[in-house]
Amino acid sequence: MPGALVYARTMLLFAALWAGIAAWKGNPILLPSPLAVLDAAVGLARDLELFEHAGVSLGRMIVSIALACVLAIPVGLAMGMSRRFERIVDPTFEMLRPISGIAWIPLALFIFGIGNALPVFIMTYAAFFPILLGTVAAVRGVDRRLIDAARTMGVPQRTIVTRVIVPAALPGLLVALRLGVALSWTAVVAAELIGAPSGLGYAVEWYRELLLTPQVMSFIAMIGVIGYLCDAGVRWLSRRLTPWAGARRG
Amino acid sequence: MTSASTTMGSWPSRFGTGALLPVALLLAWQWLGTTLGTPRTPLPTRIVREAITLIASGDLPLAILQSVMRVFGGFLLAAAIAIPLGLLMGYSRAVERNVDPLVETFRPIAAIAILPLAILWLGTGTMAAVAIVAYAAFFPIIVNTVAGARNINPTLLQAASTMGLTRFTTIRTVVVPGALPAIGVGLRIAMGVGWTAIVAAELAVGAKAGGGGSGGIGQMMFVFYAYSIELNRIIVCMIAVGLVALLLDRMLRVTTTKLMPWAVA
Repeated sequence: MPGALVYARTMLLFAALWAGIAAWKGNPILLPSPLAVLDAAVGLARDLELFEHAGVSLGRMIVSIALACVLAIPVGLAMGMSRRFERIVDPTFEMLRPISGIAWIPLALFIFGIGNALPVFIMTYAAFFPILLGTVAAVRGVDRRLIDAARTMGVPQRTIVTRVIVPAALPGLLVALRLGVALSWTAVVAAELIGAPSGLGYAVEWYRELLLTPQVMSFIAMIGVIGYLCDAGVRWLSRRLTPWAGARRG
Repeated sequence: MTSASTTMGSWPSRFGTGALLPVALLLAWQWLGTTLGTPRTPLPTRIVREAITLIASGDLPLAILQSVMRVFGGFLLAAAIAIPLGLLMGYSRAVERNVDPLVETFRPIAAIAILPLAILWLGTGTMAAVAIVAYAAFFPIIVNTVAGARNINPTLLQAASTMGLTRFTTIRTVVVPGALPAIGVGLRIAMGVGWTAIVAAELAVGAKAGGGGSGGIGQMMFVFYAYSIELNRIIVCMIAVGLVALLLDRMLRVTTTKLMPWAVA
């Protein structure tokens, strides 16, 4: 049986079980039926509300990932290439790293207030460390012989970085990016749940307060869909950018 | 004597390069804060003083203990479901094909997103927090267990079936030990994810349930933010969150190497 059919069968069984329990419980606030959720999702999609909140969250994530890359990749390149630089800055990063982005929320709420800056800060922070560590590891993993060969041929240092080290480190960097995207997407929900006036996390919490559980579930599903699509997007990007690195893709 | 003095000489200098930036940053923070800040501005010295107060009063250790116990609860719950299921999925293609769609459908949904449902079903207390941790910890454990069980050397499985081992005995004596290193990795990731999730859950419960008493370190941070605005104490909590994360990871790493010395890789 093809995979899509197996998938459909499993999910249909799950939906049937869910519908059974919902009918048995008979409490649409606690557990609405799958059809009620589908109905709510269609309604929210038709009002474009589903897509508006998703767009806001997605936009924040794209800004955060871009920021995290701009901050982490140059530092990671420098750390990967210079042992001395690494020895100076690494302890500082290692001290900050165990403090999860989410633990910054109260302090960041005080500094930034409720709005766009808070989720962007939290997500940038969450994505920064995996991208940094991944860049350092990827640069370390570059074949020394390639660098030595370039140097022997008199290639200037700047060109070695842009033409040898960056392309060779790219597959590892994209794996790190994938992890960064996943972590920042987890963080956005938490950040928006607590401190943003829009976005998917906010919408989930808003409808929970109104006890509109079908809408809550629709937005939760949307969080999953966008999370999945982002991951698929990064995987697509790494296939396009580094087709030679098939084996190293996660 | 000479070798001793060289190691003595090189160690502090290496330690010195590492400590240089953090110490400089702390000094700059202290100096800027005292010259420009108000009496409430967070300063390293004030943070140390608040940390001592919070530890001495027992509030901080109690909150940490409560959060850690919740993480353990959710973690054990997740492991109890994910490890047997993962072993079965890794061992049998049929089980894997049928169950994998569910795992892959729910995996991209962040644990925090489930929180509103957990609050709805289980209230704002410990149960909701434990459920969030269990949800967050479930996926890394199951994914790694499946991978571990599937990557077992096929020669071993063939040898087991040649020797006429029953399916159960094969799982017990070949699949489980072979998958343990991967399970250990999954458990370690799950512990980290679970600890992040508990802080998020407690924060959000604190924020959304009107400060309803759920306790834990996340709730404590939120109270310091929303009710008494004590930034120094928030930072103490943040440092505590980081230290506990490190300790939990170290603890799990030591346990896994003790339990399966062959898995050190």
